[in-house]
Amino acid sequence: MSGDHSGNEYDLSLVMEGRDADGGLPNGAILSRFAEGICQRDLAKTAAAREKVVAEMGEAAMVDAAAVIAAFNAYPRAADATGIPLEDAKAEMTEGLREELGLEAFNTGGV
Amino acid sequence: MSDPFADLPASTRDDIRAALPVARRRLAETGTWLTGAQRVAIAAEVRQAWDCALCKERKATLSPYGVSGEHDTLGELPAAWIDIIHPLTTDSGRLTKSWYEGVRDAGVGEDEFVEIVSVAIVAVTMDSFCVGVGIEPPDWPEPVAGEPKRVRAEEATPGPGWVSTIAPENVRANMADFYANESYFYIRRSLTLVPDELPKFWDLMTPFYMSDPRIEELGDLQRAISRGQIEFLAARASALLGCYY
Repeated sequence: MSGDHSGNEYDLSLVMEGRDADGGLPNGAILSRFAEGICQRDLAKTAAAREKVVAEMGEAAMVDAAAVIAAFNAYPRAADATGIPLEDAKAEMTEGLREELGLEAFNTGGV
Repeated sequence: MSDPFADLPASTRDDIRAALPVARRRLAETGTWLTGAQRVAIAAEVRQAWDCALCKERKATLSPYGVSGEHDTLGELPAAWIDIIHPLTTDSGRLTKSWYEGVRDAGVGEDEFVEIVSVAIVAVTMDSFCVGVGIEPPDWPEPVAGEPKRVRAEEATPGPGWVSTIAPENVRANMADFYANESYFYIRRSLTLVPDELPKFWDLMTPFYMSDPRIEELGDLQRAISRGQIEFLAARASALLGCYY
């Protein structure tokens, strides 16, 4: 899969799976571990990942990464608690991607 | 008065430093439907949820709704509110319409539901950030006394999800700029049934993420990570939480 705007090649399956590979994204693997630790509320995992992020990317990057992860602890909860559907345009645009990444497994809202 | 966020890393951006104490203070203020005391109790219950044995058991199973039992709570809130707060905190990706209808049938009003959800999410978000940067989440503040006005936003209409929302074409003066920048995405609309909660939620989210996600590159945004890394983290966190949207 490629980034349409940057022309870079990204392995978007890294979004769904935690692997020790960057997937074409600089520091993708350590950022993934950082997200896992925070979302899973695993303090030890978070601390270990935080240390790596600081060592490789700097403290400011760690803070900004934590901020994004925190925000995306909010948006998914708001979406899932209120049962909002995908917008039609977004559903159409992402049909292939959702199938490729197996995202329909998360679609429990109509039950 | 000591600064509850005094231990933030030195390189924390100014907009984040400014947003956190405001969000914390607003949690304890009288809401539209809930008292300050109820709101602080919700925030406290969010923290309690991570230690709840029932939540842990449900999280570990393929079928959470097949596991019955009582939540480990702080004992301050009605059971129906706990049935919102705990799964929202620990297993939000498997919330269903049946779950929503269940808490409504148990007596939670639609407007109350939205305010409970909004308060709980702000608490989770603040704590997630503190966990991420490695500081102890501060105590929740003392609640502010006062009675909620309990006035429904009559301009709200059903949908697009399970709760009523205020559509872009129906906004009133109190939400005049809310849908600016063509921000008509449903996530932006999801909690609009209680308009006074919106700044309490979005004033925290904007410095954490960004105000206009339409931008392709960072532009004037000051970030120490790239646009690609930001969107990767957004997608990874959403996937970890099992969020379809």
